[in-house]
Amino acid sequence: MSTFLIRKDAVPDWIQRLARENAVYFPQRAGQSGFRFEPVQEGSEIQFEQYHPTIVPPGKKLAPAGEVLFQYRREGEDAVVEPVVDASFRILAGVRPCDLKGIDLMDQANREGCADPHYLTRRANTAIIAYDCLTPCDKACFCDATGSLRCRKGADIFLTPVDEDVLVEPLSERGLALLAGANFPICGNVEARKAKAEGGRAKPFGRQFKAPLQQIPGIVAKQWHSPVWEKHVQQCFSCGSCNLVCPTCYCFNVQDDFDLTNTSAGQRSRTWDGCMLPNFAEVAGGHNFRSHPADRQRHRVKRKFEYLTKRFEEGSFCTGCGRCGRQCTAGIDIFDIVNDLVDNTEATS
Amino acid sequence: MKPKVAFFDFAGCEGCQLAVLNCEDVLLDILGLVDIVEFREAISETAPRFDVAFIEGSIHREEDVERLRGIRARSTYLVALGACACIGNVQARSNFIAPAENFKRVYGEVDRNQAQTDPEFWPLWAHTRVRAVKEIVPVDFELRGCPMVPAEFVHLVKALVSGSIPHFPANAVCVECKANENECAFDRGETCMGQITYGGCGAICVTNGYRCDGCRGVLPHANLAAHRQLLREKGLSDALIQNRYRLFCSAEPLGQEIRR
Repeated sequence: MSTFLIRKDAVPDWIQRLARENAVYFPQRAGQSGFRFEPVQEGSEIQFEQYHPTIVPPGKKLAPAGEVLFQYRREGEDAVVEPVVDASFRILAGVRPCDLKGIDLMDQANREGCADPHYLTRRANTAIIAYDCLTPCDKACFCDATGSLRCRKGADIFLTPVDEDVLVEPLSERGLALLAGANFPICGNVEARKAKAEGGRAKPFGRQFKAPLQQIPGIVAKQWHSPVWEKHVQQCFSCGSCNLVCPTCYCFNVQDDFDLTNTSAGQRSRTWDGCMLPNFAEVAGGHNFRSHPADRQRHRVKRKFEYLTKRFEEGSFCTGCGRCGRQCTAGIDIFDIVNDLVDNTEATS
Repeated sequence: MKPKVAFFDFAGCEGCQLAVLNCEDVLLDILGLVDIVEFREAISETAPRFDVAFIEGSIHREEDVERLRGIRARSTYLVALGACACIGNVQARSNFIAPAENFKRVYGEVDRNQAQTDPEFWPLWAHTRVRAVKEIVPVDFELRGCPMVPAEFVHLVKALVSGSIPHFPANAVCVECKANENECAFDRGETCMGQITYGGCGAICVTNGYRCDGCRGVLPHANLAAHRQLLREKGLSDALIQNRYRLFCSAEPLGQEIRR
């Protein structure tokens, strides 16, 4: 596929053109410091320069809070269940590499075992226009340390800023189709320009772990009784924000709700859940097998760096987007937890 | 037979009963599932027994205590309806002021003095302490908030008529802020009680640009030491922090902490 080169200021017009015919979500300002992926409308601000990660990641558009899974009703002796699956087309534009990685990991998790048709149908009908990061978005980011910075998988079009221009690379047939009619000029020396962009990338890029990424699952696996877990829940509110803003947290709870006018009909919906919430691990009979916050913190970190990396053969299930640390009012940061685990291993070995 | 439901009001603004009547889109459907046998705000009938009693308001006088116990004895389930019934609400702030001083502030010294010598003068004088319903009788379910949340009311009614267990997760308001993609109140320079407060309100105050003042009460697992420290770091004086905690939660252990 050809790669195109356009001026930076041509990008907003193109996104706006796409938005006239499609549901396009782009990071837009929310409040004083936040960003949200919101539908692009006439007059929406489309800019890439002043960005830091959105309050919740774009992947949550594929599993929205409170979505209805199916509707049910009784017909005679039979129960009729009709799945509710959203097959509408949408474009997520302005997705950064860390969130591409997050969506890729969610694709894997939702395909595994009992495949989730609600997520996967939305995903199949979602085109992604990604935008490369040449500078860390803020001090909380550590996407390079988790191996997300160079993720391109899952993008239909990948945009790379080079000086005052943008390289436009279609990575799929769907991406190519979104460029039809745009009449962008084909770029000649693509590799040289990419090399120039790469050369301009900040080094080191954001925060770095104290140990190489490939050693971290082993380091985390060795620490069950570690003072690190307790240390990082002293200020914890168990509010679950770290889970709910995480691009790779996908746990949910379901609830049935019958119609007031026909009590043998209704619907099942699901809401986001999180393993840091105090009653997450409460089971029938009332026993809670992770009743202490430190147990929950250990579980969360082991999910990101040990358990899921085993299941999906990825270096890290944490994308390094920094959202959990950035939005924790108690100032607890999974990056610090991992580094403390590294220190603790060295101290005890 | 449809379950018999009754509503009773004690000390409150009756806003939660109004919130029930304001469930206009589903109220008639609910009336298809239950019989309302006592509801001063809406009907004049009374009943000897009921399956579900909704109690609105906080409890102040000994005669209210007796009335509440009577209702409890006549009802299978008892529901605390709204912040007054659940946690005492703003009126519990008066618990920190001597009753004689309170009375003087509200009615003046002359009436206060007469009330102290003439037991017939003002029956409210018997008021000693504002209490939540749970301090007096066992409460089966709580519909928290000032006012209560219509969706939670409907959820509870559905659970009670279908014999299922209603689901009111003991999660912080933050959960719903994240579901709404709200910018955190702390990120706009505000301070908030959301982390230690029962959610279920849909984070309505923060979503509409305000902060959480904790009207739904303090979570059982709340990390109060960390919250107090956080508010101090954000520049709030201990006196202001105590004021925040006592706004809605004076009858709760949090509000009763003496300033350190």
